Parts: sequence; C-alpha cells; structure tokens
Amino acid sequence: MKIGRLVGLALLLPLALALGAPVDAQPVGTLVVGLVAEPVNLDPAQVTDFNSNRVGRRIVEPLITFAEESTRIEPNLAESWTISPDGLQYTFKLRKGVKFHDGTPFNAAAVKFSIERQISAEHPANKIGKYPFANYFFGNVKSVEAMDDSTVRFILKEPRASFLVVMAAAAASMVSPTAMMKAGVDFASAPVGTGPFRYAAWTRGQHVTLEKFSDYWKGAPKIDRVIYRPIVEDQARLTELLTGTLDLIVGVPADFVAQLEGNAKVNLLKQVGAHVWYLGINNSKKPFDDKRVRQALNYAVNKEAIVRDVLKGTGAVSRGPVLPGTWGAEPNLKAYPYDPAQAKKLLAEAGFPNGFSTTMWVPESGSGMQSPVAMAIVMQSNLRAVGVNVTLQTMEWGAYIAKLRTKEQELFALSWAAGSEDPDMVMYPLFHSTQWTPNGPNRAMYKNEKFDALLTEARHVTDQAKRAALYREAQKILVEDAPWVFVDHEIQIAATSKRVQGFKLHPSFDLRTETVILR
Amino acid sequence: MGRFLARRLLHLGPVLLGVSVIVFLVLHLAPGDPAEVMLGANANKEDLERLRVQLGLDQPLYVQYLTWIGHVARGDLGRSLWMKRPVLGEVLERFKATLLLTGTALFLSTVGGIALGIASATRANSLLDRLSAVASLFGASMPTFWLGIVLMVVFSLWLGWLPASGMYAPYGGGGLRDLLAHLILPAVTLAAASVTIIARLTRATMLETLGQDYVRTARAKGLGDRPVVWRHALKNALIPIVTVVGVQAGYLLGGAVLTETVFAWPGVGTLVVQGILARDVPLVQGGVLVIALSFVLVNLAVDTLYAWLDPRIKFQ
Repeated sequence: MKIGRLVGLALLLPLALALGAPVDAQPVGTLVVGLVAEPVNLDPAQVTDFNSNRVGRRIVEPLITFAEESTRIEPNLAESWTISPDGLQYTFKLRKGVKFHDGTPFNAAAVKFSIERQISAEHPANKIGKYPFANYFFGNVKSVEAMDDSTVRFILKEPRASFLVVMAAAAASMVSPTAMMKAGVDFASAPVGTGPFRYAAWTRGQHVTLEKFSDYWKGAPKIDRVIYRPIVEDQARLTELLTGTLDLIVGVPADFVAQLEGNAKVNLLKQVGAHVWYLGINNSKKPFDDKRVRQALNYAVNKEAIVRDVLKGTGAVSRGPVLPGTWGAEPNLKAYPYDPAQAKKLLAEAGFPNGFSTTMWVPESGSGMQSPVAMAIVMQSNLRAVGVNVTLQTMEWGAYIAKLRTKEQELFALSWAAGSEDPDMVMYPLFHSTQWTPNGPNRAMYKNEKFDALLTEARHVTDQAKRAALYREAQKILVEDAPWVFVDHEIQIAATSKRVQGFKLHPSFDLRTETVILR
Repeated sequence: MGRFLARRLLHLGPVLLGVSVIVFLVLHLAPGDPAEVMLGANANKEDLERLRVQLGLDQPLYVQYLTWIGHVARGDLGRSLWMKRPVLGEVLERFKATLLLTGTALFLSTVGGIALGIASATRANSLLDRLSAVASLFGASMPTFWLGIVLMVVFSLWLGWLPASGMYAPYGGGGLRDLLAHLILPAVTLAAASVTIIARLTRATMLETLGQDYVRTARAKGLGDRPVVWRHALKNALIPIVTVVGVQAGYLLGGAVLTETVFAWPGVGTLVVQGILARDVPLVQGGVLVIALSFVLVNLAVDTLYAWLDPRIKFQ
C-alpha cells in the first residue's frame, strides 16, 4: 500500500530532521538553572514565593545580608548602623559610590523610596505595585528619614529587636526610584537594582535571563549570564541535568536523591534550611486543651520513620521551632521519642483510655510542605496505634489556607520558613497569643502568659545574649506545652553538573548563583 | 450555507458569555481568594485586608464581574494580578505554543489513526489487526503523564536523541530543527490516546461500509481494491470519523495541560493551571475564554465539513 508508506515517511521525516540536530552544550560563561516553577514577577517586595525571590534577589539587594551558609547578619548596602538606647531608632550609614543598573546613584532617598512605596498609601509608587507583606515586615515602621545623602534613619512605633533581620528580608531590597517611576506597573517584571546581575530578558513560560553587572560594588560575578528555566516535572528537570542541558537544580525530590548520590556526572549539595514542618494541634478545642493529650500525640508520632522512609534523608527531625545550632536555639530541649506506650498512658491519664476520633487537615502540596499526604498517612497510622482514629481530609493549597481561618481545625499539617535564624521570626508569629488566627498565623491557638511575656521582653532587649536567654527559656515552656507535633526541618538538596564550582546552598532557601564559577 | 455560518457565529456570543460567568463563579466560590493564596501561611489580618482592597475583592461579586466584562467588551482582558502583565498578550503568546502542540498531535492522530484503521479493516483478523487492537487498548488506557515520562527517559535520558523539555534551547537554537526536536516527544505523547480511538473507529466504520451493497456493486463491475477502498468506501465512512476527530480536537486542547506540564511546554494550559492555583482571576478568565473560543470554532468547522462530505446534509 503506497499511501501507507508515504504516510509513514511523512511521520518519520520530522524525527529524522530533529535527530540530525544534536543538543548543544551551554556556551561558556552561561549557567542554566532549573526552577520548580516560573517566577511570578521579579520584584521581591511584590512576591511571596521562593522561585520568584531566587531570581529577583540577584537583581536587587537589601541594606543588610546574611553571611554565606548562615543567617548571621552582615553589612551589605549599609556599611554600619547604630540603634538608639530605647530601641526605636535605627540609623544606617550607606555604602558610597554604589550605582543602580540604570546608572543612577544609590543613596538615602532610594532607601526611603524602596520602603515607603510599600507602607504609605500616598506614595507615588504605592499604586503601581502590590506589596503582600508590607504590614508583616514594615507595619512597625513609623517613618524613614534621609538624614543626608548616605545616612538614613528608621523610626519604629515600638521596639523590635529583630528589626535588623527584617532589613535583610527580600522585601527590604533597594530599587532604583528613577527606573520604577519610569516603568510603572511593568517594573515588577524587569526591576532595576544594585545586585550582581541585571535583568536581560524573559520569554514567558520558557526562561528568564540575567546578565552580569560589570560595575557590581563587590566585583562582577565570574559568569556572564544566568538562564532560569521553569520545569515543573521532576523527571524532566533531572533528565535535563543528567543530559547536560541544565547546570543546577534545586528541590531534588526525595526519591531521586539516592540515584544522584552515586552519579559521577553530578555533585549533590545538602543543607538544613530555616524551616519547620509541623502537625498543628488546635489548643483551644477539646480534647486538645489538655496538655497530656498533646504530649501523647508527640510520643505517638514516629518522626524518625517519617524522615527516614518518606523524606529519605531530606529532613532532619525537629524538636522545636528554632533551627538547631543557631544562637537562639535551646540545645537541651525535651525530646518526645517514639513511645506508643507512654502516649497511651498519657491518654488514659487524660481520661481517654480508649482513645478518641478526630480529623487531620492536609494540603495536597504547598510551598515548604515536602510530601504532605505521605507524611500525614504515616502519622494517621501512628495515631491509630494508640487509639486515636484520624480522618484525613486533603485539600488544594488555596482552599486549605482559607479553611484554616475558620478556626475549626483539630489537627493540621503546615510548615514555616522563617527565612532567618532569629527566633522572633518564628516564635512570635506562630505562638504569641496576639497572633491568633485570623490576626496572625498562630493557628494552633496557643496561649501561655509566661511565654507571651518572655517573647515580648525579648523584642524590647537589643542585647543578643540576653535575648538568647529569654528565647531559650521560652522554648522550654513551649516544648513542654506541646502545642504542635514538631516533625522536621527540611534539608534542601541541590544538584549541579561537574562544571559548576563555588556554589553553596543557603539556609534561607535563597539561590546565590553569583558565587558560581564555571569550569 | 452562508446563513448557517452567520447564525452559528452569532451563537458564539452567548456561549462565551456563559463560559465567562461559570469560570468567574467557580473561581470565586472556590475557597481561598487571591490575597489569601498570595499571603499563604504568613498571612496577617492587616495585610489581607489591604490586599483585598487593592485587588478590588472588597467589591460585591456582580460589580467585580461587570467591571471585568465591561473591559472585555472594549478588548481589554485586564492585567494578571501577580504577573502584572496584560492578560491578552500573555494568553495569545502562550496559545500559539498550545496550538502548535495540539495541531501536530491532531495531525499525527488523524493521519496515523485513519491509516491504521483502514489497514486493520482491509485485513480484518490478520496479525496486523490484532496487534493494532492490543496497541489501541494500551494507548487508550495509559495515563498521559506516565507515557510522557517513559518516552522522556528512553529518548532523552537513555538514547540522548531528543531534548527532554521546553520549546527551544534557551541559548543559540531557535531554528525549525530545534523546534521540531522539542516538539516530537510532547506531540507523540499527546496523540497516543487519540490515535487509537480514531483507529478503532475507522476500522469499525470501514468494515461496515465495505459490507454495503454499493461496495459489492463496485467490486462486481471490476474495480480494483484501491479505488474501492479509497474512493468509494472511505468517503462514506468519513462522517463518523470526522465527528470523532472533532471531539478529539477538543480533548487534545484540554489534555494538552498535562503534556505541557510534563514537558515544560510553554502553552496556555500551564498558564491557566498556574493562574488557578494563585486564584489569578483575570488570567484564568482570559485563558479559558481563548480555549473555549477555539473549541467552539473546531465544532463549527466539523459541522461545516459534513456538508462537504455528504451533500445530502443540508443546513437549516
């Protein structure tokens, strides 16, 4: 049958054509990064997700930054700062001679512009952007004053010792006022800052390209450009890395880690992130208002098994909210080892010798949620073993977040990425009683007056050693009260091709491609 | 014919209006509004309230809808809530990629399916026919994403013949060959289920047609196999096939979402999914409108084809 053959030929022709075109290797000096999702926009003050920030933070930078591989603060665009004795005035001395990518100078007026655009409704740049966390980060800022060209003063409404850490947040990055007023709404897609890379191009759905900024004040990066490609499917990202068309991927799924560990073509990097995954317990609802019940849940859940078998080493067992090994972490926190007998005993003491029934809400996915459903299923069977019958309810992320504001939750799976090691950034929003949902993110409805007092005091003291002592005491109270089941701190995994050198993961989940050298 | 087309085109308005109302309502009745989704786990009350006002979510639903439809009437689909870019440009740009992918898949499945179906029908119960039956069962029951990943592992990872994902290489590239190389795996994946459906249907209708009296007459007057099959039987068997191809076109437009996601194909499907997860109402509205419009147009094309294939069909 001639026509059949013709058709067959027609179908094979494109294949033959395409096979003749071998996949090119990257040009020298170009780093290609595979992201899990496409950035939404590139102005860090206007986004909330990791992937947007991972790109945007290369273009714009804050006054203060975190050191390599740590969330210890370091001077950046601010050379130094002083804090008034009452903790209400922060005066920053700015680095001189720094230029934005558009050639305009970085100065005190730019600092004032970058922050005020977010918090003042009358600011000319307020209408041309939407700033999701303006209140969360800068709600406490009364005014920003440019004292002279290179001195800027922040006046706070009330003392907050973690303010310097706030100034290291992505949302506190400095933008060129000239460029933003000129670009208007479009500024968010192509921001202008002082960072190591400048915006070059964005082909929607395909890639964002940044080029090195030769006049970068710390010295130009060693690579010419970075191309970010959004590739949602894990297998596709992995295949591109192994075939050499990607140089760097983050968010390597747990199931692929073992496979990559023995692969000679890639380097695997691991680091514990400033993150905590928890099973929230509604402390204001019966029977969870009884501390013994909450402690029983902590003994019943086998965290080691979750980390080992579900997360396959992409998590470190957690005992409390603060990242272990950092200045504010209490090293000797009470542990709740897997002990079903102890759990049963506590339940019996609380009046539930035969257990009880409850529901657990779980999102299907979500930023920082790792493998929520698989983890929840393990917890469900752990709890059934001590007589607590759990009905799982899985929800889409958006619906889930909305449902948590109803306060009807009993058990709920959630995570928190503080972005820094300062205990105030995790303990205050999640456990202070002023932060009960819907006012803030304390969705466990936890309240302990002594704990509240310690946290408030720690906000008012600026001496770090004193703050550490207060937070350590507060953590002991917290873990004894067991408002959550602390499950794990995520270990982020990145994989790079062998030609990538000098790359380091950062606990804030930032992706610092400016340190990369390509061999 | 002209009047038929005009009337059908007039129907477009109400259909699209209906689609827009449904999409709008579904997005708003689903729990979680854009402000909430954006703020996620960190939300505090003041930020939520401020964002809702900025996004116009404090307005009653009908006001939000009327504002939007008013803009649409002037050809302005609005701006994406978070990407800040005009929806129309964004959607059309991405729709080109979807059209290329579904168009290629439709071509592959129609040509492949009809050829396979005819071959099976003319050699009913032969080895080829049986193999094709097994392959059809396999093709129809395989999940798209699974097939996509298998093809990717085999042809990209193991053999290294084809790129794993994307539409063009992000550097250099950009030519026709680069595009074709990237197109093959997603197009074959997307076409797999349709090709089997079209093949089975073609086989069945062809068998039926080949048993008709006029075919026997044609053979009796001494016509060879080829003219009987291709000129007489095929044209008469085509009506149900065209219907199914039309349905498949719609199915491919919808099914493209999964394929686009697996292969990081920059189509409108991935864009709409991204929009739904972020409750980006203008973006989703725009994307769905364009998809709905193309679906309606495909149906119209199928109906028009009937008349050309079978002159007995008249448009009233």
